[in-house]
Amino acid sequence: MSPKILVVDDDNALREMVGIVLTASGFTPAYCPDGDQALSTFKSSNPDLVLLDVMLPGKDGIAVCKEIRAISGIPIIMLTARTETQDVVLGLEAGADDYIVKPFEPSELTARIKARLRPITSSVDSVTIGPLTLDVVGHQVLKEGRQISLTPLEFNLLLTLAQKPKQVFTREMLLEKVWGYHYKADTRLVNVHVQRLRSKIEEDPDDPKIVATVRGIGYRAG
Amino acid sequence: MFGLFRRSVQARAVATTVALSGVLLVALGGFLSFSIGQGLFEARLKQILAESESAVIDVQNTFAASSVNDEVALQTIMNSVVPKLEATGVADSRRVALLRTPGEVGLQLLQSPISAGLDTQIISQAFRAEVRTSAGRVLYQSIQLESLVDGAVRLSPGIVVGSPVEIPVAGKYELYLIFDLASEQQTLEFVQQTLVVGGLALIFIIGGVAYIVTGWLVRPVKVAAEVSEEIADGALDVRLLEKGEDVIAVLARSFNKMADSLQQQITKLASVSKMQQRFVSDVSHELRTPLTTIKLAGDLIFESRESLDPSLKRSAELLNGQIERFEILLNDLLEISRYDAGAVRAELEIHDLNQVVGMAIASIDPLAKKRDSQITVELPEDDVLAEFDARRIERLLRNLLANAIEHGESKPIHVRVGENTEAVAVSVTDSGVGMNKAQLERVFDRFWRADPARKRTSGGTGLGLAISLEDTLLHGGALDVWARPGEGACFRLTLPKVQGAEVTSSPLTLPNQSSESGDLS
Repeated sequence: MSPKILVVDDDNALREMVGIVLTASGFTPAYCPDGDQALSTFKSSNPDLVLLDVMLPGKDGIAVCKEIRAISGIPIIMLTARTETQDVVLGLEAGADDYIVKPFEPSELTARIKARLRPITSSVDSVTIGPLTLDVVGHQVLKEGRQISLTPLEFNLLLTLAQKPKQVFTREMLLEKVWGYHYKADTRLVNVHVQRLRSKIEEDPDDPKIVATVRGIGYRAG
Repeated sequence: MFGLFRRSVQARAVATTVALSGVLLVALGGFLSFSIGQGLFEARLKQILAESESAVIDVQNTFAASSVNDEVALQTIMNSVVPKLEATGVADSRRVALLRTPGEVGLQLLQSPISAGLDTQIISQAFRAEVRTSAGRVLYQSIQLESLVDGAVRLSPGIVVGSPVEIPVAGKYELYLIFDLASEQQTLEFVQQTLVVGGLALIFIIGGVAYIVTGWLVRPVKVAAEVSEEIADGALDVRLLEKGEDVIAVLARSFNKMADSLQQQITKLASVSKMQQRFVSDVSHELRTPLTTIKLAGDLIFESRESLDPSLKRSAELLNGQIERFEILLNDLLEISRYDAGAVRAELEIHDLNQVVGMAIASIDPLAKKRDSQITVELPEDDVLAEFDARRIERLLRNLLANAIEHGESKPIHVRVGENTEAVAVSVTDSGVGMNKAQLERVFDRFWRADPARKRTSGGTGLGLAISLEDTLLHGGALDVWARPGEGACFRLTLPKVQGAEVTSSPLTLPNQSSESGDLS
């Protein structure tokens, strides 16, 4: 079955056009024209990924993003026209996995979607890092027997770091391995998601023990 | 001291007042001293002459009444003259000499009686000659008297009065009375000292008064200057205190009025400008959503162009190209609006300029190949390190290169990199159509094109150089241009090695500069 993509955008033409592009690339689109209906449409359509416009009438994209994140870890990609404002950071902090700047090309859109839908693969079945045990097959993280719920992206980020403990990953390396960017992208993606990940796995996110910052270079596990 | 005068109105005013009143006081003191001296002298002279006349008559009468013939008696009378004359008179400072007129044939043996301690040399021969021929009149002459006071020679003014005296038997004599004016001199000196001390005190008082008064007058001006300074620094709502009805209050009121109107104008202009900036930014953003749709649609059509008939296929290609151009234009507009809004921050890091130049050339290479332009590069061997925003500088260089390719008529393009102690520089030189003076002046203007009728092949937006200039200024650098019609153009970017440092000369020269290091415009 083809993956279902929920397109939340108030612009009718763009919404339809994105639908055409998605259909042409083998996805099944679902639509929602405003922020107020986004959550109910999300629940009823049960998509595999959400394309979410930041500027929406009614509830804005950032609020919608938070609502969806509260009940689901599925990939969310924000669509934004303003890269210089706080929108991007706010969207990422609200739980969006990635963002695309308008105007974008069809290939860029489908590449970003495919990168987010790509299954997480690993040569090993499970990885242990500090007090955490990552069950790669079951997509689960156990901390002292307790399950921690991570989004697929957070799981992938942690797995990437944990598979090579002590190795320092630069932000650019992580952008390539986790987000699938092969060119220079926004390092804020990494910063924000490391913060989100820490808030879920660390005892004290301000004094991280599992995912450590290597000043001036990047991050390292353990 | 000189600097203080130049800086401080108050110091100048006080100095001028003191100097002028000093000159006036000196003149006044001089005049007073002179006329007091004159007055003292004349009063004393009058008294001396009166005394002398009566003394001469007295002496003459004494001799006339004596009718002595013998020498001894005569000498006794003569000798009595001097002490007698010394004793009379108001002042005790007179001395007397009864001198025999030279060439007389009377009794030679008679001694000339002279007051003790009197040097007859002070009575000049010329004066004596005058006295001899004075026909009985009393004559006087001012002289200098020397006296010993506490072992030191003291000079004092004096007057010698002389008159011929007829002495029976002995013949013609001259009677001289010498008056010392030391006490008058002392009085005069005392008056002069008093004048000097009083004058000095007066100058100090005048200086003090001038200081206080000018300070009082200058203070409001100082305050006004400080407030102007504050307003110039952006504190538009600072005002002067309006108090009273005098000229200073008028100054304060007009100053405040001016500040009010300035503030209104600035606020109005700022809001208009802000609205415009907002408008440009909003338009650019609002256009992005429809542009996304157009782009997606255009791309789908472009991808399937092979299945369309030739005119539709060409249309799809044109559409695709123009959508791209539209997007670049929109991005440039946004970038400019960010600069206008002052919302641009450079991401400064230490980079190797050689590397950034290499990246820019690599990314422009397809266009250069398409236009058959050959790019030659002249780089220093070592890394050329400087602090800058690599993304912006690469974009800037790409833009300079694209311009050089577009206007270079496929002739070689030369890129140079250089550095000196304070700055790094890149120059991009083409040998193409160049520009004339009028074109040069407008080259950084927004949407300005060297030749509006020219075919636009590289899809420039007309904002490229305007953005390049903004990028340069953001780095505290300089973007200089040289061009000549038919000879080509040279753009030179100079950046400080360390942000915030002042750059006085560029490491590279423009084609019209002969010196080793180029001047910055």
